[in-house]
Amino acid sequence: MTRPALAIAGLTACFGCQLTFLNCEAELPTLAECFDFTYFPMGNSRHDIGGEFSAALVEGAVSTPDDLETLIRLRSRSRTLIAFGTCARWGGVAAMNNHLSRDAMAESVYGKEAVLTGSFNPGPLDRFVTVDFSITGCPPEKNELLATLAALLHGTLPVFPQYPVCIECRNRECLCLLMERGEPCLGPITQAGCNARCPAVSIKCEGCRGPVTEANVASELEMLQEKGISREELIRRMRRFYPEWDYGQRA
Amino acid sequence: MVRHFLADNSLGQLLDWLSRFGALHGPIRTAEGVEVFGPVQAEDDLLLTCRRTLIPPKKYLLPPRQVILNYTAADGYTLPDETAPQVILFGVHPCDLQGIAYLDRVFLGDRPDRLYRRHRDAITLVGLSCEPDEFCFCTSHENIPRNADLFLQHVEHGFLVSTGTSKGEGMIAGLEPLLSDLNIAPQPLSENRMMTRLREVAKNGETFPDSPLWEHFATRCLSCGACSVCCPTCYCFDVLENGALDGTTAERFREWDNCLFRAHGEVAGGTNFRPDRRERFHYRYLHKYLGFGALAGEPACVGCGRCRVVCPVGIDLTELFTEGGDARP
Ligand code: SF4
Ligand code: SF4
Ligand code: SF4
Ligand code: SF4
Ligand code: SF4
Repeated sequence: MTRPALAIAGLTACFGCQLTFLNCEAELPTLAECFDFTYFPMGNSRHDIGGEFSAALVEGAVSTPDDLETLIRLRSRSRTLIAFGTCARWGGVAAMNNHLSRDAMAESVYGKEAVLTGSFNPGPLDRFVTVDFSITGCPPEKNELLATLAALLHGTLPVFPQYPVCIECRNRECLCLLMERGEPCLGPITQAGCNARCPAVSIKCEGCRGPVTEANVASELEMLQEKGISREELIRRMRRFYPEWDYGQRA
Repeated sequence: MVRHFLADNSLGQLLDWLSRFGALHGPIRTAEGVEVFGPVQAEDDLLLTCRRTLIPPKKYLLPPRQVILNYTAADGYTLPDETAPQVILFGVHPCDLQGIAYLDRVFLGDRPDRLYRRHRDAITLVGLSCEPDEFCFCTSHENIPRNADLFLQHVEHGFLVSTGTSKGEGMIAGLEPLLSDLNIAPQPLSENRMMTRLREVAKNGETFPDSPLWEHFATRCLSCGACSVCCPTCYCFDVLENGALDGTTAERFREWDNCLFRAHGEVAGGTNFRPDRRERFHYRYLHKYLGFGALAGEPACVGCGRCRVVCPVGIDLTELFTEGGDARP
């Protein structure tokens, strides 16, 4: 049986998503048997982007001409293109300041002599190419990655939860930090799948998995403002992983 | 009327005796301070006067996520073969006992659910009377629910012990050395106004179609799902299947769902029976208070109050009855 060829690539990102893959230590031998990792610069010395791929997992936001070239190349050679992680799916941390002037930001980091290198505002993959599937998360969850890879072997794609983090948090009977402590938890508007990783250890959800499909953003903002948290503070928190919330969205 | 009496200071012995039949679970407080049903390590862990746990005991019968079928190419789909551990569920309040009675009718009625049956058979229910607070409105705290294998009613210096099942009769016989006779007048039944109103609403099939409250609910609801996760009679689940890395076997599982989620009414092709939140609230209302399917005309709500406690935006469907549906802007 020929093994499906995979590409795992990183654009503008921290490489944490690809690390999630390498962290699947128990499964790596099986994965190496099941797939041919044809293009995986971070994990493999063979860098062959010339052939065709069953699937490409692409980490990171698109923010440089090189990113765009890699992305388009992978898109045109892959049957399934998967946005891998929050940056690839939503823009992520790299995009949190997209509303500010790029020149001013460059100057604040590199000083007056700063030269912009042709980079542009970081954006998610689907701004540039058609994306077939996404695994969100900063970083993504191992089990969702493995479920996706397994599904590829079965010739399909998995169905991930479409409900918010609160469901997983309540199922685990964690303390609701929003209701019991008045904290600005973003659980109600954030895509589940992490099994309420943060509230389970009494840390409010920061929204690292991006918006849940039917987020009632307007009501979440009203409710938290009634608890005395300013709109500016809330928007600053929400922008951290996704800069383009529709603050008026109710469904 | 002569009743079996268990003195306060014999409770420990009762618990020891019960533990011989299975793992003792009851209301306890987690490290974070949440009141939940969980394993009881010591008598002191047990919360005898707890109002309500976050999740009702339905989690023992229908876990939040449960593998329902395994698939292999050779055998096709087969039921998972694990056995359910024997659990003594102590301190189940009357509303939750009623909730279990409702789930029994749903899952063990015309087409019994074999996994539910497995878990249900492994559970011994020990009920406990409680004091209502401003959130709950069940009327059964003075009645002894018939599905309790043992029911403990708080009285001065101890508990009255009774049973509604044949399993319980055997248990009471075994407990004889701990029990004494107490002559006590039966308590008068009291009716709760909200529950009376709810029954009336169910009987007349009232739906308050013109109430402005519907829009108010739909605008605020976060679709967080807490109201159904925490409801003792919400049993909706979604069914999903994941293939394994071996490329041939698969697991099919079910997980709790909520009719306030968009995906609950969605079918192939993206069509949705209840595309907006307002319609979803009508649906929830219909099920909770008027009943549907084989249980039409019977409210599912047992008045535990959980949905009123856990909603982060304070949505309370019972406002429809109390305010007649026209009290809000
Ligand atoms: S702590 Fe956050 S995630 Fe958990 S239930 Fe409360 S709001 Fe939802
Ligand atoms: S709880 Fe929130 S911040 Fe934490 S991992 Fe999950 S989505 Fe991310
Ligand atoms: S609808 Fe609310 S009050 Fe009624 S049984 Fe469910 S959680 Fe309890
Ligand atoms: S339809 Fe709604 S109210 Fe009825 S059991 Fe399902 S989630 Fe609960
Ligand atoms: S608990 Fe409240 S906000 Fe959450 S789904 Fe139910 S009604 Fe909506």
